[in-house]
Amino acid sequence: MAREGKTAQRVPAAQEALTRQPVPRPDGDGPLPPSDDPMSYTYTTDLAAIRAVVHRYAIQAGLTEARAIDLTLAVSEVAANTIKHAKSPGSLKIWYDAKEIVCQIHDEGIITDPLAGRRQPSLDASGGHGLWIVNQVCDQVEIISDETGTTIRLYMNLPSAKA
Amino acid sequence: MWYNKCVDLLTVSVTARESAGEPYTLVEIAGEADVTNTDELRRLLDEEVSQQPHTLIIDLSGLRFMDSSALHALLRVNRSLDRQGGVLALVSPQTAVAKILRLTTADRLIPVFDSVAEAAAG
Repeated sequence: MAREGKTAQRVPAAQEALTRQPVPRPDGDGPLPPSDDPMSYTYTTDLAAIRAVVHRYAIQAGLTEARAIDLTLAVSEVAANTIKHAKSPGSLKIWYDAKEIVCQIHDEGIITDPLAGRRQPSLDASGGHGLWIVNQVCDQVEIISDETGTTIRLYMNLPSAKA
Repeated sequence: MWYNKCVDLLTVSVTARESAGEPYTLVEIAGEADVTNTDELRRLLDEEVSQQPHTLIIDLSGLRFMDSSALHALLRVNRSLDRQGGVLALVSPQTAVAKILRLTTADRLIPVFDSVAEAAAG
């Protein structure tokens, strides 16, 4: 099993993250602002810490426990792909407003299949369930992948948001 | 037979038991199972499968989280046991674990029980 990330410098992202508060988007209708947001964490193999952070923010944003678990599972699956396929650490950004919570995961792995995660793999398959699960539990999934890496955004609508 | 193995976040304990004179192997998995400890989980489960138990029961009540890598390890155990005429049963998955079992329909392939006693009774 590839664990290339383990050799990279470990950043205690989760501990740092727990002391910070997420900054809600100032204008609910504006463009999503991941870039200057301070809620950015780098992970290598510390998936349990990442899950704890995501779950905490999901509850804080207003997701129900069941949906917070869904988002946590989705982020963990995407971050697991970083460990399996990318040769460097991944980064996670989380932000939310009154309508939705967004988790953005970026790594240097490359996804070439445009339908990745859109088809249900057989239970006999040795892999491929991760992204499929992500698509099942999240309200919206965006995957942008080119030769420089992959960015995946996972969106969950908040219960109070009007469709 | 009893041992306890810690794999970072994951604890796996194995005991040999009997129900109405029928022996079964009980594996208790606790903690969080993900891609970072799947290799170790798979190795431990393979050891039990190689003992050719007729019934292997995996108690998931202490498992807070399972990802698709760990699920594949369970599916692999199910296939191996199936081939050698054994049976796998899962017990008491918590919410997050029950969710991935349901989403992937693994819970239709592998029987899931509320208690070890029920699983042992078949």
